Amino acid sequence: MQWREMVGRLPLPLPLVEVRLQLWAVLLGAFLVVIPHFLSTFYVFLLTEMAIVALFAAAFNLLMGYGGMVSFGHAAYFALGAYGAALLVKKAGFPMLPALAAGPFVAAAGALLFGFFIVRLTAVYFAMLSLAFAQIVFTVIFKWYSFTGGDNGLLGIWPAAFLKSPIAYYYFVLAVTALGLAALYAIVSSPFGYALKAIRENPRRARYIGVHVKRHQLWAFVLSGFFSGLAGALFAFFNGSVFPDLAFFNKSFEPLVVVLLGGMHAFSGPLLGAVGFKLLETFVSSRWPVYWPLVMGAILVAVILVAPQGFAGLLARLAWWRKR
Amino acid sequence: MSEVILRTVGLKKHFGGVQAVDGVDLEVPRGEFRAIIGPNGAGKTTLFNVITGDLRCDGGRVYFNGHDISRLPPHEISRYGISRTFQITSIFRRLSVLENVQTALLTHRRRHYDLLTPARPLFREEALALLARVGLEQEAARPSGVLSHGDQRRLELAIALASRPQLLMLDEPTAGMAPRERREIMELVARIGEEEGLTLLFTEHDMDIVFRVATRITVLHQGQVIAEGTPEEVRANAEVQRIYLGEHG
Repeated sequence: MQWREMVGRLPLPLPLVEVRLQLWAVLLGAFLVVIPHFLSTFYVFLLTEMAIVALFAAAFNLLMGYGGMVSFGHAAYFALGAYGAALLVKKAGFPMLPALAAGPFVAAAGALLFGFFIVRLTAVYFAMLSLAFAQIVFTVIFKWYSFTGGDNGLLGIWPAAFLKSPIAYYYFVLAVTALGLAALYAIVSSPFGYALKAIRENPRRARYIGVHVKRHQLWAFVLSGFFSGLAGALFAFFNGSVFPDLAFFNKSFEPLVVVLLGGMHAFSGPLLGAVGFKLLETFVSSRWPVYWPLVMGAILVAVILVAPQGFAGLLARLAWWRKR
Repeated sequence: MSEVILRTVGLKKHFGGVQAVDGVDLEVPRGEFRAIIGPNGAGKTTLFNVITGDLRCDGGRVYFNGHDISRLPPHEISRYGISRTFQITSIFRRLSVLENVQTALLTHRRRHYDLLTPARPLFREEALALLARVGLEQEAARPSGVLSHGDQRRLELAIALASRPQLLMLDEPTAGMAPRERREIMELVARIGEEEGLTLLFTEHDMDIVFRVATRITVLHQGQVIAEGTPEEVRANAEVQRIYLGEHG
C-alpha cells in the first residue's frame, strides 16, 4: 500500500528503494570469484570492464543520486586518475601499485579545483560548467604532446608481473572495486550521506539546520572525483595505455547512461546498470556497430519512460508484487 | 525585566524601488510569544528572511543574545540558537519522517562531516521522542512527502526543535490548514514553547490565534512598525483598526 501512495503522490517516485543486498552480495561475490575459470579470456575482460564501469558509475551516482547534482563532465576525473597513474609510471618510473594508488588523489585534486567553481552553480549551469572543465582537461591532454603524448596517448602501462594474467588482473580489479563500493556505501549511509540527501531534497531547509551547503557539495564532489579516478587508474593498467578520449564528453555520458539504466535512487542501481550497459555494448556494438547508438538510445528512452527508477526500480517492484 | 534575546536596529531591505523592510526596530525579551501582524506585503516574511540570514539586509543590525548576526549566513545563525519554519512547508520530502529529524539532530551536533559511522542508529531515540512530542511517532517510517499537510507542518516543527533553539520563528504556521488543525498546531506550539522556555516570533493571519497565543504584538505596515503592545493595546489602537483589523470585519 505504502509503495502505491509514494508513486501516486511524489514527483519522483520510489523514495526509499533499496534492494536488499547483504545475502545477494555474498552469493554474487562467490559467483564472481568462481566464474572466470569457466570463461574465455574475452569474457574475463568483459567482467573486468564491468567492474570498472560499475565503480565509475557508483562514484558518479554519489553526486547524481544522493546529491542531486548532475555532472556532464565526469570523464575528467576518470581521465585524471588514468593519466595520473600512467604519467607516474612513464615519467617518474613509479611501480604499478603506488602509481595506481596515486591516481585517485590526482583526480581528487582536480575535483577540488574545478568543483570549487562548479558547486557554486545549480542544475543546468552546474552540468554545463562541469562539461566545460572536462573539455579543458581533454584539450590539455590532447595538445600537450611533450607531456601527455597528445593523441598518441601513453603506451606500455602494464600491471605488475603478478597481475599480468587476465584472471589475476580481474581478481585485482574485483577486490579494489569491492573496496571502493564498500567505501561509497559507507559514505552514503553516514551522517555525511544523510546531510547530502537532505541537500538534494531541500537545500534551503538544509541550510537552516546548520549545513554549509556549498562546502558539503564540494566535499561530495571531491569524493566522487576520487573514486572516479580510482576507476580510471584501474582502467589504465587494464588497457595498457591511455588516450585523450578518456576525457572526451562521450566518456562523461557513460556513467550518466549507466545510472539511468540501473536506477539512481538505489545503491545497487549503478552496478546493475554497468552489467546491462556492458552486455548491450558488447553484443550490440560488435554485431551492428553502426546501429549501436540507435539501439542504446531506444533502450534508454524505453527505460526512462517505462521504468524511471531503472533496473533497480524494476527489481524492487517485482519484490513488492511477490510479497503481496 | 527579563533580558532582550533578539534586537533589530533600523533594519532595512529593499527590492528595487520597493522598501520591503523600512527601518524596523524590534526588541524581543526572552520567553515572550511575539506575533508580527500586518496586511499582505507588509514585509513580515522579508523581515524573517533578513533576521535569519536568508536575505542580506541593506542597512541596520540584528543582535541575538548580544551577538551581531546581521551578516551571517543561515547555517551559522542556526548554530546560535535560532530555528525557523516556513510559510510553505519545508521538509525533506523523500526522506522518511524519522530521517528528517535524525538529519537535523546530526547536523546540530556537528556530525555531518562524519564519513564512517552508520547514521541509521544515531540519535534514533531522541528523534523518536521529538516525533512523539509533535504526535508523529506512528509515522516515523513513512516517507515524509506522503504525510498530510498538517502532519508535514508538525514534522517541520520537530525539525526546527531538533537544534534546541532558544528562539523559534514561525512564518504563518497555520497557513493552508483547516480551522481545527490550526488551533491544534498553535496549542502544540504554545505548549512546547512554555515547557522549553522558548521565545517565539511568529506571523499569522488568523486573528483569533494571534490574540490567544501572543503575549505581545508588533504591527507592520509597508515595512514599518506602526504599533506595538499587548493584545489589548493593539486591539484598541485606532490606526491598527483602520488599516488592518478593519479588513477582517
